[in-house]
Parts: sequence; C-alpha cells; structure tokens
Amino acid sequence: MTSISHGQKPKPRDQQAAALRLKNNRLGMNIFQASWIMAFFALIVVNWQLRYSYAQWPPMGVQPFELLLPSLATLALVSSTLLVQRGLVAFRGAQRSLFSLCWRLAMALGSVFMVLIAREFATVSQAALATQYGLTMRLMTGFHFVHALVILCLLLVVYRRAVAGAYHGGEAAGWAVEGAAKLWHFVTVAWVLFYVVLYWLR
Amino acid sequence: MNDNRNRSPSISPGAVVVAAIFLLVSVIGINWFTSFVPVVLPPQASAESKSVDDLFYVLVIIGGIVFFLIQGMLLISVIFFRAKSGDQSDGPTYHGNPLLEIVWTIIPAGVVVFLAVLSFNVWMQNTEPKATVNMIDGNEIKINVSGARYAWTHTYQTGRLDDNGEQIVINSGDKLHTYIGQNIELELRTQDVIHSYWVPAMRVKQDLLPGNPATGGRPTELRFTPVRVEDETYPAAYPIVCAELCGDGHGRMTGEVIVYADESHFLEQFYEPAIYAILNPPADPVLRGEILIQEYICNSCHTLDSLEWSSRTGPSLNGIADRAGERVPGQSAEEYLVQSIWNSQAFTVPGYTEQMAAFGPDQTDANAMNAEQLYAITAYLCTQGEQTDCDTENQTTAIPAAIKTSFGLDVDITFGQSAGEAGTTETADEG
Amino acid sequence: MATIAVPIGAQAEQPGAEAVRRPALSEYLRWSVDHKIIGVQYGISSFLFFLVGGAMAMAIRWELLTPALDLMVSGSAYNSLFTMHGTVMIFLFIIPMWAAFGNFVVPLQLGAKDMAFPWLNAFAFWLIPPAAIVVLMGYFVTPAEAGWTSYPPLSTLFSGDGQTLWALGAHLLGISSIMGSINFIVTILNMRPEGMTLWRMPLLCWAVLATSIIAVMATPFLAGALTLLLLDRVAGTTFFDATGGGDVLLWQNIFWFYSHPAVYIMVLPGMGVLSEVLSIHSRKPVFGYRMVGLSSMGIAFVGFTVWAHHMFTSLQPELRIPFMITTMIIAVPTGIKMFSWLGTIWGGKIRFTSAMLFALGFLSMFVIGGITGVMLAALPFDIHVHDTYFVVSHFHFVLFGGSVFAIYAALYHWFPKVTGRMMNERWGRIHFVFTYFGFLFTFFPMHIVGMLGMPRRVAVYDPAFTQWNQLIGISAFVLGFSSFIVVYNVIHSYFRGPVAGANPWRALTLEWATTSPPPVTNFIDDPIPYENPYGYGTEAATAYLDAVDETFRHGGLASSSH
Repeated sequence: MTSISHGQKPKPRDQQAAALRLKNNRLGMNIFQASWIMAFFALIVVNWQLRYSYAQWPPMGVQPFELLLPSLATLALVSSTLLVQRGLVAFRGAQRSLFSLCWRLAMALGSVFMVLIAREFATVSQAALATQYGLTMRLMTGFHFVHALVILCLLLVVYRRAVAGAYHGGEAAGWAVEGAAKLWHFVTVAWVLFYVVLYWLR
Repeated sequence: MNDNRNRSPSISPGAVVVAAIFLLVSVIGINWFTSFVPVVLPPQASAESKSVDDLFYVLVIIGGIVFFLIQGMLLISVIFFRAKSGDQSDGPTYHGNPLLEIVWTIIPAGVVVFLAVLSFNVWMQNTEPKATVNMIDGNEIKINVSGARYAWTHTYQTGRLDDNGEQIVINSGDKLHTYIGQNIELELRTQDVIHSYWVPAMRVKQDLLPGNPATGGRPTELRFTPVRVEDETYPAAYPIVCAELCGDGHGRMTGEVIVYADESHFLEQFYEPAIYAILNPPADPVLRGEILIQEYICNSCHTLDSLEWSSRTGPSLNGIADRAGERVPGQSAEEYLVQSIWNSQAFTVPGYTEQMAAFGPDQTDANAMNAEQLYAITAYLCTQGEQTDCDTENQTTAIPAAIKTSFGLDVDITFGQSAGEAGTTETADEG
Repeated sequence: MATIAVPIGAQAEQPGAEAVRRPALSEYLRWSVDHKIIGVQYGISSFLFFLVGGAMAMAIRWELLTPALDLMVSGSAYNSLFTMHGTVMIFLFIIPMWAAFGNFVVPLQLGAKDMAFPWLNAFAFWLIPPAAIVVLMGYFVTPAEAGWTSYPPLSTLFSGDGQTLWALGAHLLGISSIMGSINFIVTILNMRPEGMTLWRMPLLCWAVLATSIIAVMATPFLAGALTLLLLDRVAGTTFFDATGGGDVLLWQNIFWFYSHPAVYIMVLPGMGVLSEVLSIHSRKPVFGYRMVGLSSMGIAFVGFTVWAHHMFTSLQPELRIPFMITTMIIAVPTGIKMFSWLGTIWGGKIRFTSAMLFALGFLSMFVIGGITGVMLAALPFDIHVHDTYFVVSHFHFVLFGGSVFAIYAALYHWFPKVTGRMMNERWGRIHFVFTYFGFLFTFFPMHIVGMLGMPRRVAVYDPAFTQWNQLIGISAFVLGFSSFIVVYNVIHSYFRGPVAGANPWRALTLEWATTSPPPVTNFIDDPIPYENPYGYGTEAATAYLDAVDETFRHGGLASSSH
C-alpha cells in the first residue's frame, strides 16, 4: 500500500501511521462486509420473489431438499469459523502451535463444507431444476461457493505465510491474518443466511 | 471588516418593493401557467382524465408557487447582493436560523402530505370498480388486447354463436371501438416482451407483462370510461401508443380508440356489421384474404402499399408475387408463400433478421392461423404483383397442393359452409 | 475565538520559495497511487466519455428532427444509440466524474496526505478503461438495444451479444464504484485532522460520505441483477422467463433498488459542490450547516425506499400507494437544501465568477426537476406521463440541470487548485450563457410533448410533434456546441491562464491552504483547519486567510513552467 510512483512521499514508518493503517484496514473491511452482504441479500430477494410465481413452495411435484447433509455442512462451516477466530487469538498471543492447529482444522472443516455443498449442487433433481426451486438453489449455492473457494485459498496462502513468520511484529503486521479470518466469517454469515432461506423457510 | 456575526443581513426597502412586485408577478404568472393546462394536455376523453387533470392543475399551482418563490429569491439575491466592484470584504457571518429551518421543513412536509392524500383520493376514485363493464347490447362481454412486436390486436368475445356453435370473436386489429359512457375493461396480454398500453386522451396506461402461456399468461387490466368531448365530431379517434420500449418498431406500435356517440351508433357502425361479415365471408378467397391479413399483425413489420402499411422491420410485401417463385430454388411461388407464413423461420430474406413470429395451425397460439385462412391469405398475396408467379388460373388446386407438399395437410376448400371459421382465429384468448 | 490558527505551522518559517512543479502530462497516462493524479485521470476520461455520450445525444436529436426514420437505418440502430447514450452518461461520465472531484478534493479538504487505500484507489480507476472498452465493443457487434434499464425479456430473449458485453462492462463499473466508495468512507471517517469533528467537516465531504454509503449498499444489488441477466443470457436459466417460472418484474425490482439510489449517487456530490461554491463566492457561511449535512443523509436513506415508483404502470395497484408516499417525502430534505442555499446567498456579497454562475444555474434549473419529481410521484398523474418525454425532461433537469451544472461549477472552482492557473472568466461566462439557455430550451419543451402524448425511446413519432422536436433539436445543438467552449477554455487556461496562487477565492477549507497545485505530499506539515469551514466575515477568518496568503506568497506555480 505504500508503493510510490513519483516524488519523495515518505514511507509511513512511525507507529502512528501504522496504527492509522490498521484502523483504516479494519473499517474498510467492515464496510466491505456490510456492502457485499447486500449482494447475498439481493439473491435472497430473488429467491423470495420467485416463490410467488408458484402456488406452493417447493412447487408441486418437487421434493423438498434433504436437510441432513446441508445441516452437517453448515455445522462444519460454523465450527470452522470459530476455529479461525480461536486461531487468530492464538496468533496474537504468539501461541504459534495452537494457531497452526486451529487453522489446519478450520481449513479441513471448510473443505468438508465445500465438498458437501458441491455434492448438493450437483445432485439437485431434474424435477427441481425445471422450477425456480432448483434454479435459485443452484444460483445461491453457486454464488456462495465461488466466494468460499476464493477465500479458502486466501486462508491457505495467509496460513502458509504466517507459519513461515511473515506477519510478526505486532497487530498491524498481523493484519493479513485478521483480514483473512474476517473474510471467512463473512463467508459463514452469508452461508447461514442462505441456509435458513433455502432449507428452512418454506 | 467588523465582527458582525449573529447579525441578520439587513434587507433594504428596495428589496421589499421588488419582493412585492415579484409576488404580484408570481400570482399573475401562476394564473398564466394554469391557463396552459388544457393546451399541454390531450383532450379529456375519459371520466378519469378529468380528475387526473384537476390533480395536475393543483400540482401546477403548488409547483408554480415554489418555482416563483425560488426563482424570485434567486433574482433578488442576484440583483441586490452582488458585491460592489472593488469590494473585497466578506458578507455577514450568519450561520442560520433554527426557526426558519423548522418552517421550511414543516411547510413542505405538510404540502407533500396534502398532495399524497389528494393523489390517493383521485387514485381510489379512478380505480373504483364499476357496476357493469363492456356493456354491449345488454350483455357484458370480454374485450382482450394482445400486444406483439409491433402491433396491438383487440378482440371482442361476443358471446354469440355461429352456425357451428362456436363463439363469434370480432378481431378489430389495432382499433378499440367503444362508445360514450361505456365502462371499458380490457384484459391485456403480451405475446413477447413488455409493452405498455397508453391512451393519452384517456390518461390511462398499463404494462403488459409476459407470463407463462401454459397457465394463461399474466393478464393485466385497464379500465376507463369515455366521455363526450366538446366540439368533437363522432365517431372520434384517439391514438393508442406503446410506451415501453419493445424493440425495432416500438415507435410504430400504435392504434386508435374509436369512440362512437352512443351505443346505437356503435352497434350500427361497428358491432353488427363486423358480426355480419364474420357470418357471411366473401366467397372469393382473395377478398377473404384481404380481410384476414389485416386481422393479423403483419402490418407491424411489413410494407404493403395497397393496404397502406409502411413498416420496415421485415421485407416489403409490395410485388411479392413477382418474387415469390424465385426466392428459394425448387419452390413454387405458392410453396414459398405458405412456408414463409406457417414456417416463418424456414427462410430469411437476405438483409433481415429472424424476427418473424410463428403463425401456424396451433390454435392455442396467439397467432393461430388455420389452413383455410392460410389459403385465403396466400391467395391474396398472389395478387400482389404485376406478372405474378402464382398459378392464379388454378388457384383452388395450386395453393392446397402447395400446403399438401409443404406440410402434408389436406385442405378442404369449402367456403360458404365453414362460414364463421375465419372469425374464430384468436382462440387463445377465449374464456 | 482568540486563537487565530495559522495553517501550516512550521512551514511559515520556511519561505516555501521553491516553485511548485505540475506533474508532467505523461504521468496521467501511467499507473499512479497519488490521489491527485487519479483524480485528474478520472476527470479527463469522464469528460471524454461526456463528449462521446454528447455526440450520441446530437445524433438522437438529429434523427428526431423529422417524425420518420431518416438518419438511422432502422429502429434498432436508434435504440442502441440511446442505450449507449444512457449507459455512457451514467456509468462512464457522471459517476466517475464525481470520483474525480472526490478524489482530488476530499483528501485535501481533510488535510490528509492521500486516500486511505491509495493502491485500491488506482485499481478502481484502472477498472474503468477495460469496462468502457467492453461496453463500447458491444456497439460494434450486435449492440445492446434494450435501453440502459435493460428490461427483460427484451434484454434476454430478444437481444444480441452486445447485451452480454453491456452487462459485463456494467459489472466491472459497479465493482469499481464499490471500491472507490469504501475508500471515501474510510478516508472521511478516519483521516480527518485533529480538531475537525464530523460537524466541522466541509459539506462536500458530507455529500461524498452520503453518496459512498449509498453506493456501497446499493451497488451489490446491481451486481446481483446483472449476474442473473448474464446467467439467463448465456447459461440458459429462466430467472426472468415466465415459461420457466421466472418473473420479469424481478429484474425491475432489483435493478431499481440500485438505480434509484444511483440517481442520488449522481446528484448528491453536486449538492456538496454547491454548498462550497455558493458559500465561498458569496462570502457568507452556509445557512443551516447541520441541516444541509443531515439532509444529505436523509436523502440517502429515504432514497432506498422509493424504487418501485419506476414501476407504477406494472406493479400491483395496491403496492403503488406506499411508494407514492415515500417518493413525495424525499422532496422534504431536498427542499431543505434548496432553501438553505438561498439563505446562504441571501445578504451575501456575491462574486459572479463562472463557478458561481453555474451554481446559481443549478439552483434555478434543479428546482424545476424537483417540482416535476413531486408531480411524477403523484400516482394518477404519473400513470399518464410514465415513460414519456415528461420523464426524460424530469431526469435531465436533475442530471444535467443538477449534476452537470454542478460539475461545471466544480471545474471552474477547483481548476486553479489542480493546475495552478485560473480559467478564463470571459469564456466561462459565454459558456454559461450558451449552456443555460441551450439546456432550458432543449429540455423544458420536452415536458409538453410528453404530456401531449409522445412516448420516450421512439425514432418515429406522431407528426403533430414535429415543431416541438425541431425546437428541441436546434437548442440541443446549441447545448452541444457549448461544451466545446469549455474544452477550449480548459486547454487555453492550462497553458496560458494567469497563475492562481494558493488561495485565489480566499476560501477557508483546507485544500486552499497549500500551493496550487499541491506538492506530492499535499502539505509540508500537518495543516490546522480553521474552526469553521465556512466561518466567513469574522476577524479571525480574515486573519487566517491573510496568514495563508502570507505563507504561500512566494510559493506556487512559477509563471514560466509549461
């Protein structure tokens, strides 16, 4: 963030500048989360409005989705996000092995979530796909899946760099870990919203 | 510059005089504005138009007050508060006046509440259900409007039966016929994209929304009641316009509301003759085709001088019979024509796109056309040309033969017996 | 206040005699993270798109001189023309143009060295050229012809590949807008100097804050809508196709949930500019500062509740009433602003600079857009004029009479800060006269043709409206011509204009408390803001301004540079 194109703009070296940068990053992340969750809300609106094209939901002749696997996936994701948060606390407390354990477990659970959701996506019945019941489900899980995939990859990159010792030296230096964790929380919140809308609101 | 904060800017007597003059000018100006209300709006041809225009009148008065107030204050400021040349000093340090701010929050809020209540009342009054709708000859009938790129089609489900026991449906093309005092209720459906049915003289507008044809589409409704317009000669015609962008020919997607002076004129001049024509179609297939072709939406895309069509979305039909035999190698003129209508995507004239709607024997389709109708329209098109490629001598066998070779369908040409068939084309909209 | 703050502290001791260098023109063509460079990059590219969109408008008016098709080969060609006109003007001109002024001015007004995220800032800008290429490329394949609103099924089942490119380009522009807005919010909330509370912030910052809040909350809805449109077009889904259980009104709901607030994205920064220009050039504090700031927020929030008034002719009748009421309510905060501005100039000492002329022109024209806005909110009347030239006129009064007039005011006002040279005032006045009357006679008659029965977006129309359209057309050509005056003025003044000095308008906001153009780090030392950004007329303010003048007497652009 400090690449300099011309002139003699000084690198913000002192602590004040670093503190400001951290404050900016945190606020920017919060605004991004508040903003981009609206895209997920937009898809919830899509789902909600298209329900009114049908007399009942799920539409006549379409079996409701099974609850077991998506619920397990949701459980996995929520645990994963909690572990990421625990790992972040451990990272700040310089408990490197605990951080490593938490994030490994979290990424494993995240992968479980993604595999289960991918299976759900792939096994939507033809009857459901002929209606908006199946189409909006694919739209929402697919849209979420793309985000989860990108951010899971980010978690992995940040994890590898963190264990390699790239982010030491205080809170400001550890921003990457914090930011990745916050994005993963975002993925979780977005999914829980979708989970409720897709599987519970009938 | 002295510290003159918290002192209200002084207003010179000159400003008061100007303000008074301006007030006078605004009163006169608003009066003058409102005198234009009838000029800037189409004739008031419906009961609804009167209440809408009254609302507009109120809006213009209130808008005019705001307009003259703000422009007036602006003008006064510009004249009286300009810095004298060479004056480099600042104006008074006056940060605001809470009382004034409350006033100019409360008053506009009150005005918009008033306008909202007024608009709500007008709206409720205009949408109040009528006791009877579409009364014709003592019966309530259904009038349907179909919008397709780029033409309107109006159909009257008369409720009367023809000799075969089928309901007679009048297709009046892009014209809606009505009479003063008839409460019109239209059911609107679109065959393709969103259209919007607007009759400026009636101040009514309604979008046509695509729905699922399998479940009867997504009909919308439009209601209005024509009233007498002073100095108008009847029957009077008012334009129908498409107000929602629908593609290439959007601007040409027009029609007319024909208002008759009373029900007896409506019956005499439109309704009964139309039913008579359906029950007694001309025996000559060419004449029948000429009537039929105008009931379909062909004019929305094609040019044909003999019927005064001038659309350019599709290829011109002028002299079509001269070219029909040469378009596709191996096809006779009759074969080319019947295929171009029933199987419109089979061949696209170079320079045009595959936009033409499907006309075919499927009676659930909005553009349904049975074999007899195809026969008559082909016969009519065969006359459009100087030295036609068609075999006009043996029309009664050549066209059925073309239909037979193209679609494997036997056509039994029995005009006179199947009278009324031609009228029951738009079955998609029935009950 | 007894403390007369001297803006630049230690700098006062350094004579600041070294001449300020203007960035070389080539720096504007390169990747740069300097907000001032990025601001100019936004400004120049947006203005070029303004000329492109304007040329399209000229072609539209040329076509409409006669009631038949003549200039265009087909209705489709005309449709794609106004589709592109709308898209270019909204997404490539007005929205990025406000990013231009926001970028250049906001960090300076806050006394900051740069935006909060300089790299993100540059990235947001550099998304625009590829997005523009994608959108305009559509024009050369099978162009989008469903209007900038792109209602399905016209935009899904009945349009060519240009529509897909249009949606992709709009997607990129939306992402750019979100990133830029996050940057503005963080900068404004986190990087104010000591002593500048939110309630002492210049009103342009308030307006940019409100705008950015709208943009971050609404633009994701556009992203959602465009995703659905793209899927329907390329992946065979049926979200908008009723035969597959979809709903055409779904698009209208989601699209307008973004696009109505987008109107405020386009006009709120203009209102911020107006507060600055009117106060500075009439030498008087902004009347009712808090209410002006708060009304920006009020407009932003109420703006989210009015979207369905665009659907008055398609929505279920019983749902139309609540949207009529919310739409009318939005007139109240707008009215507060209008009256506060009048209160600001009332009793002041007005300098008729070009910037001030355009600001006064905004007041005089925007009020008409406001009045017709309330008329359109009145449901029974809207049913008549919905989708007619009345609506075209209304939104041009808001977006041209409002936004573009404000853009011109901002240009004349901040040009000296950006380039170190003054614009030519005589040409500025000529420009104003042509623009004002060209605009008035172009757009006012449109109300009347609309009410008389001319729908919008038509290439062929009832010959009864020919004379009206010829009047509109000729005025439009005058208006189009007027933009060349300002192009000439900008180029001429860039090279030959008189050297501006740090604070040519003697303004109290911080962007004037540094050299023109500002150095790379904006300020040599942390500047101290005056206690009230609009506290004109006090001894303290005069002393502060004199101190600024004294500090920068020897600095500034050397008259020989360039």
